[in-house]
Amino acid sequence: MIKNRWLTGFGLLLALLLLMALAACGGQPPADEVEQPTEEPAVEEPVDEEPVDEEPVDEEPEAEAATVTYWHTMSDAEVEALDQVIAMFQEAHPNITVETTRFAYDDFKSALLTGLAGDEGPDTARLDIIWVPEFAELGALVALDEAMPNFQSIADNTFPGPLATNFWQGSYYGLPQDTNTQVLLWNGEVFGEAGVEAPPATLEEMQQVACDLSEGEEQYGYALGGTYFWAPAPVFYSMGGQVVDEAITTADGYINGPDSVAAFEMLAEMYEQGCISPNLLGGGIGTSDGHATGLYAMITDGPWMVDIYANDYPDFDVQFAPVPAGPGGSTSSVVGGQDVVLFEGAENQEAALAWIEFLMSEEAQVTMAQSGVIPTLRTVRESADLPDYFGVFLEQLETAQARVPHPAWGDMDTAINNAFQRMLAGEQTAQEALDQAAEEINALLQ
Amino acid sequence: MLLRSERRWYHLATTYALLLLGLLVVLVPFLFMLSTSFKPQQYTFEYPPSLWPAEFTLRNYVQALQRDQFYLYFLNSLLVAVATTTATVFISSLLAFAFARLEFAGKNALFYVLLVGLMIPPVMLIIPQFLVAKRLALLNTFPGLIVVYIAMNLSLQTFLLRGFFESIPTDLEDAVRIDGGSRWTIFRHVVLPLSRPGLATVAIFTFLYSWDEFPWAHVAMKEATRRTLPVAIALFQNQHLTQWGQVFAASIVALIPVVAVFILFQRHFIRGIARSGLKG
Amino acid sequence: MAEATSHVQQTSKQRQELSLPARAQRRLSRQGVAYLFLLPGFLIFGLFVIYPMLYSLRISFYDWNVIDAARSTFVGLDNYRTFVNDPIFQRAVLNTVSYAAITVPAQIVFALVAAILLDQPLRGRTFFRVAYYLPVITSWVIVTLIFEFLFNSQAGFINYLLRDVLRLVDARVRWLADPILVMVPINLLGIWKGVGWSMVILLAALQAIPDEFMEAAAVDGATPWQRLRHVVLPLLRPTLVFLLVVLVIGGLNVYISGLLLTDGGQPQGRSHFILTLMYAETFDRLNFGGGAAISYFLTALVFVVSVVQLRLLRRRVEY
Repeated sequence: MIKNRWLTGFGLLLALLLLMALAACGGQPPADEVEQPTEEPAVEEPVDEEPVDEEPVDEEPEAEAATVTYWHTMSDAEVEALDQVIAMFQEAHPNITVETTRFAYDDFKSALLTGLAGDEGPDTARLDIIWVPEFAELGALVALDEAMPNFQSIADNTFPGPLATNFWQGSYYGLPQDTNTQVLLWNGEVFGEAGVEAPPATLEEMQQVACDLSEGEEQYGYALGGTYFWAPAPVFYSMGGQVVDEAITTADGYINGPDSVAAFEMLAEMYEQGCISPNLLGGGIGTSDGHATGLYAMITDGPWMVDIYANDYPDFDVQFAPVPAGPGGSTSSVVGGQDVVLFEGAENQEAALAWIEFLMSEEAQVTMAQSGVIPTLRTVRESADLPDYFGVFLEQLETAQARVPHPAWGDMDTAINNAFQRMLAGEQTAQEALDQAAEEINALLQ
Repeated sequence: MLLRSERRWYHLATTYALLLLGLLVVLVPFLFMLSTSFKPQQYTFEYPPSLWPAEFTLRNYVQALQRDQFYLYFLNSLLVAVATTTATVFISSLLAFAFARLEFAGKNALFYVLLVGLMIPPVMLIIPQFLVAKRLALLNTFPGLIVVYIAMNLSLQTFLLRGFFESIPTDLEDAVRIDGGSRWTIFRHVVLPLSRPGLATVAIFTFLYSWDEFPWAHVAMKEATRRTLPVAIALFQNQHLTQWGQVFAASIVALIPVVAVFILFQRHFIRGIARSGLKG
Repeated sequence: MAEATSHVQQTSKQRQELSLPARAQRRLSRQGVAYLFLLPGFLIFGLFVIYPMLYSLRISFYDWNVIDAARSTFVGLDNYRTFVNDPIFQRAVLNTVSYAAITVPAQIVFALVAAILLDQPLRGRTFFRVAYYLPVITSWVIVTLIFEFLFNSQAGFINYLLRDVLRLVDARVRWLADPILVMVPINLLGIWKGVGWSMVILLAALQAIPDEFMEAAAVDGATPWQRLRHVVLPLLRPTLVFLLVVLVIGGLNVYISGLLLTDGGQPQGRSHFILTLMYAETFDRLNFGGGAAISYFLTALVFVVSVVQLRLLRRRVEY
């Protein structure tokens, strides 16, 4: 009996295996219908030493068929828009196939590096702006201002802030594919219940309102997503903080200068008073969930939140405002976004450049904008096709500042992050913590 | 059986009380996963936490299963796991047979070399493995995943099977040998048929491993249609918001084959372990 | 079985008629046959384990450029020296070793209790066995996410239990925000997930103990505790030693739970484990040489600890 059951089990597995084999051979067509542009049967993936032209099956019989690979970390909504962009591109370039691969943001670097190590990296990718100098320094990227004939005309039409994130040691290693920044998101219901009519206009007011709207562990006035630099950055820059000097030579007098210290002092104080949620230290309720359910009255976040709330909290009516202004009277925030880059190992540079150029075209940028991605072209920003809520973000972008474009930015971020942690734990004052961070950053700049 | 002679009622009551307590500790986390998978996002962190969804929804399952090509990832995982399991069972029993039953020069040395595989952290091998797989044109292919999974499993499974094979009496084997049967005949028609529980144990361990493996699948398979489930589920972790309900719904679906395989083989599993190298 | 054997005899007779090799040749071919059995396994093992191991040993002596290996510079033992002096690394070793020291004994004790309870004729025995094994067969990623969810500091079940139901604490505990507190869920998870595995192995060992041993002891009037102490545990010794060695290896390799629950060593790198630190060095900081060096440190640690355990405990088994 026992033996029989074992045999049944084995038979079952074998049957599954067979089924699988059948599915693997015959199961492709329906898959292709769903996401045609992204999914090409992998047989076509040229295997390095093999000549590329034994490409088969559903390729058009035209000459010079080329494939461009493109890796990214887009959200569901962005992927939908990207599929449209690819369709448009292929209409214009029927001989070029774009193969995209999507990664989780946290795993993207390891996938890229392993791929590059084995000469199996992508031709093009959308990289977080803070990674571009790092990959350029590694020697993985092609300088676009040299390789791309019409680089200058495209670059001239982009905004200088996002463009600058591509610059490393005299060359531009990418083009700004999209940009974003953080603004203040406030929960109208929570504000209304407390009788607060408008979002705070200054940081001083913000601290006041945040504390007024905090009630022990039941409600917090303000919440940050973590302690890494991106999270406190809007308050930091609005307060007038700076990480290093413009020439990126020293952090002394910048990250530990009076404005930077004041920004962190304010946050540490608010945390101490219970006006900032402890979730920034990890293991709490995320800012989006907390904000939408009224646990957090205010957060600072980017344009993608519109899509997230529409999907997961359809009843929540989110309100946007510029980041409250600092003592100098002006608002500021942090620039985020992604650059499109070309890798050294790209097999068909011409086709890859055509794809990059198309991503930077007005039609592609307008299409991507529908999924909440802010375009980087001046000419597109003036067009009327953009979603309404872009207004506040575009306005914020005027004053938003870029993080330090340096290959060691990751380590600088860690230095500031650790300093922030030490303040929150009460181990050091803001000044002490940032003095130490300045020392660590200076060591990285040597 | 240590406790067999105890027949008093309070003994039985204590036994069940302890077992049920253990059951509670084991199952409560799973119950939370199950209930969260049926909750809409806004109730994910309701307070007080409740096991019974205030608002019951299947949306998480629908979304998780529709997302990209979940069914395809599921089939890919199944293909890889079944193929890895079959191949590992075969190859490691060849090895174990040689170490348990055959004499050859360098036997001990080779066995120790194999045991080294138990001591190294797999993550450190990834980049060199990638370079080898690339040289052999195995990247982006199912065989590329499978062959590495086999390699990562050989040490433990061979160790386990060697112990098992050693526990098989040699009488029958001697009879076959006197009849002039080859090593292969002994392996194929004596040792393997007598080792089903051991093979089942190896099958379970290997299946679990290849079903769950993430780091290698993540770097070695770039082709979206050939990804496996763990890689697909990792993509559910949105950069800006964790959709717990969807992640848990997908995890539960991913758990089904594993539980099925275990229930199917569990009887042989215990017997297999009893006679394998694992008993010490 | 009978059919299998008769089949065996048939084929072997056929073979015998076919060939009668010389004795020397036979001995040679006998060894040759052994190598044929080894060939497929060692081919794969050599290519995908041994060669990569040596390759990363080489990386550990370089300031490695992953994109272009030719641009790497040889730095000798610098990578090793750097991390040995790094407080973050020292803390990671401490965290890792205490993880093994806590989770291993706990797993064995709970597993022993469960195995003894289940080693009697009970209704629902199979059900309990399968249920207890459920955490073992669930992937690390999934169980870690479940624990992250349960230990959420603001709305998690554990804080609800402690604060609102049992009233053991006044304020919600920030489990995942503190480098020491975060070790609680990580260690509990390690125990919770591992008990089933040890239980199955101990159950198998218990079932292998002949009933006469127990009965003889019972007739002598020994209490269950005495029987456990003087009959069962000594007989289980080899199994317990084996479990200890294997679980310690597993414990020192703690990885996914640490990575996910501490968000990569937060705060201030104080909650790293050896492997999470290795991963961060390699893929976040692109310090491939340093990452490889850390891996080799861990491998050496595992090796030494295993050998020491086997030496000490095996010897004591002798008398």
